[in-house]
Amino acid sequence: MPVRGPRSAVTLTVALGAALAVAVVAGVALGAVYVPPADVVAALGRSLGAGSGPGGLADALVVDIRLPRVLLAALVGACLAVAGALYQAVFRNPLADPYILGVSSGAGLGVVVVIALTAGATALRPGVVPLGAFLGAVGAVALVVRLATRRGRVDGVSLLLAGVAVSYTLAAVTSFIMVLARESMASVVFWMMGGLEGASWEYVVAVAPMLAIGATVSLLVSRQLNLVLLGDERASELGLPVERLKTLLLALASLVTAAAVSVSGLVGFVGLMTPHAVRLVAGPDHRRLLPASMLAGALTMVLADLVARTVLAPVEIPVGIVTAVLGGPFFVWLLVRGERPR
Amino acid sequence: MSEASPLRFAGVDVGYDDGPVVRGADLLVGAGRVVGLVGPNGAGKSTLLRAVTGAAGILAGDVELCGDPVGSLTERQRARLVAVVPQSTAAPFAFPSFDFVEMGRHAHLPPLGGPGERDRRVVEYAMRRTDTWRLAAERVDTLSGGDLQRLVLAQALAQEPRVLLLDEPVSHLDLNHRLQILDLVRELADAGLAVLAVFHDLDLAARYSDELAVVHEGALGPAGPPRAVLTARNVSEVFGVRAVIGTDPVTGSATVTPVLRDEAVAPTRDQEVFVVGGAGHGARLLRSLALAGFRVSCGALELGDTDQAVAQAVRARHVTLPAFGSPDPAALSQTETLAASADIRVVSATPFGRGNIANLRAAVRAGDPLVLVGGMGPRRDFGDGEATALWREALDAGAVAVDDDDGALAEVARVLGGSADVPYR
Repeated sequence: MPVRGPRSAVTLTVALGAALAVAVVAGVALGAVYVPPADVVAALGRSLGAGSGPGGLADALVVDIRLPRVLLAALVGACLAVAGALYQAVFRNPLADPYILGVSSGAGLGVVVVIALTAGATALRPGVVPLGAFLGAVGAVALVVRLATRRGRVDGVSLLLAGVAVSYTLAAVTSFIMVLARESMASVVFWMMGGLEGASWEYVVAVAPMLAIGATVSLLVSRQLNLVLLGDERASELGLPVERLKTLLLALASLVTAAAVSVSGLVGFVGLMTPHAVRLVAGPDHRRLLPASMLAGALTMVLADLVARTVLAPVEIPVGIVTAVLGGPFFVWLLVRGERPR
Repeated sequence: MSEASPLRFAGVDVGYDDGPVVRGADLLVGAGRVVGLVGPNGAGKSTLLRAVTGAAGILAGDVELCGDPVGSLTERQRARLVAVVPQSTAAPFAFPSFDFVEMGRHAHLPPLGGPGERDRRVVEYAMRRTDTWRLAAERVDTLSGGDLQRLVLAQALAQEPRVLLLDEPVSHLDLNHRLQILDLVRELADAGLAVLAVFHDLDLAARYSDELAVVHEGALGPAGPPRAVLTARNVSEVFGVRAVIGTDPVTGSATVTPVLRDEAVAPTRDQEVFVVGGAGHGARLLRSLALAGFRVSCGALELGDTDQAVAQAVRARHVTLPAFGSPDPAALSQTETLAASADIRVVSATPFGRGNIANLRAAVRAGDPLVLVGGMGPRRDFGDGEATALWREALDAGAVAVDDDDGALAEVARVLGGSADVPYR
């Protein structure tokens, strides 16, 4: 059987990039108020100082409200896809994903703890919320790995069970804190279900550098990531410092998960689905899988958010519900198809 | 100053957290040499290999690669010196074979860079060498076990190592693939690679190794030429099996044949049959008669002769001569005694020469009953016609001539009673 190689991967990446551009424009155009695509493009041009002419209400809607939201959706989707691809490689487990491993719950707990502690100092939040999310994510993944380690080796099934257990426990702790600190949590409830309605340029600016770090470093080590797939011992025989690399990769995955969770709450399954779908076309090579997965994750989130905003307009549903509706069946399909953790 | 040897174990204890598996191992693997490790399962052969790559602990002593203790090398430095072919490989996802082999270049690539033109040439060379170049575009997870193992060897060669470690690399492969891979390993060694290989199969170990060492009861025995290490005594001590050490007729390497259980060859009858054999022609008669319960004896047999090995295995009384030796007077008189004391004598269809003509002489002199296999004359006579003359003399004196071993066994059964009809596959 011939390999679907670089060429189909390049085609896929270009197609995903184009689709993402279209989806961004559509995401900005569609909503409670329709803005024609031509006006969207014109408004974007004006906001970049490239055009001239009258602005007005449409520009405010496009530039201040819709655009940051769509961009944030794209960034979150890319973060989750990178995280999913990294976890799947490090654990050599096709079912790994930040949501299933409980990392998202850990980040969520971190966020809630920070919000509860900064009830009187809300000005601090933009800086410390992502930090809290990151610490929560790292703590959760460390706990899950520890629980799943059997005789020095991370067992595939135990990993998923530990992920589920940690996820539920941390979610319960999170809920408990939310009940205790009810006053400061009003806005958090909706966020916990996974939503982007709080989107702003501030959030975009907070997430973008974290994604940039995560994406850049993981792309730099994408060739090494392929060796990790061979198993720890073989990778070491081929000259890879496996433990150091895995620690780095888990830290990166936790960073981008934290970035996503701190602005959009618990959005499940994007990290599971997109690397899988991309792998079917682009193959397993991370040098091509990672960039294509980022684009696919961004595209998925932009479209899911569009559905969340428009399906019951003017009422919004949390985007996490949309991704779960898609992702739950996908997870079952993977199980039925025989994708088993190793 | 002589160059440091590629791989050296110096008083090494290897093992894991729960203690050493092998203690005090000393071993030298020189460039161009294949050193084989043999021993029962679980003796620690693989642990010795894994200590070289850091997968097993070095609890005492030093393992040195080209003069440097492995503990002082980074993964990268180490992977440029030593490559491993494991017992089996989990084929990962759907990589093309070329990319899979290219992973072997990792230790030679800049940390954040990709493979260049030279790397691709090395990969192509490794794949051509292992006859996997034609598979370059195929997906690894669609290959057969033999192809995959050759691909793993190509991956190891792409590391351009000085030392190659093989951990039972062919145990689960078909015979043809085994020989292909080991022939290639032998060629690579002849070109200067130092090879340390764990063997499951003792015959293959003897055939492909310059030296063998036995791993047994937590210790690594001294390395030596296969024939010096694979003695019947060592095999019996290490594997708990009585074995006959023979010689492969084609390669000349030592062969190890586990023999019949003692109780299977315990005589159940008093009658003794004297068999004149040589070069394996008496083997079937000896085995069948022994399994039928007769006592068996032979004359003088050279050490290393197949019939000597069989005689030993079935506990036939015989006189062992040094290889290519002629019987001395003591051996001659012993042979005459054995021939005369037997109840019947059978001459197999063996060629006669200096080594075994005395047996024929003794058998003919001892007289009836005498059975000659091969009809009216000896199959080949490398003497001065003495065998032919003796044959004629025997026939004149009333010996029974039969066509083949079956006929001889039937004749023995007719004369002595009972049956000597033992299936021979």
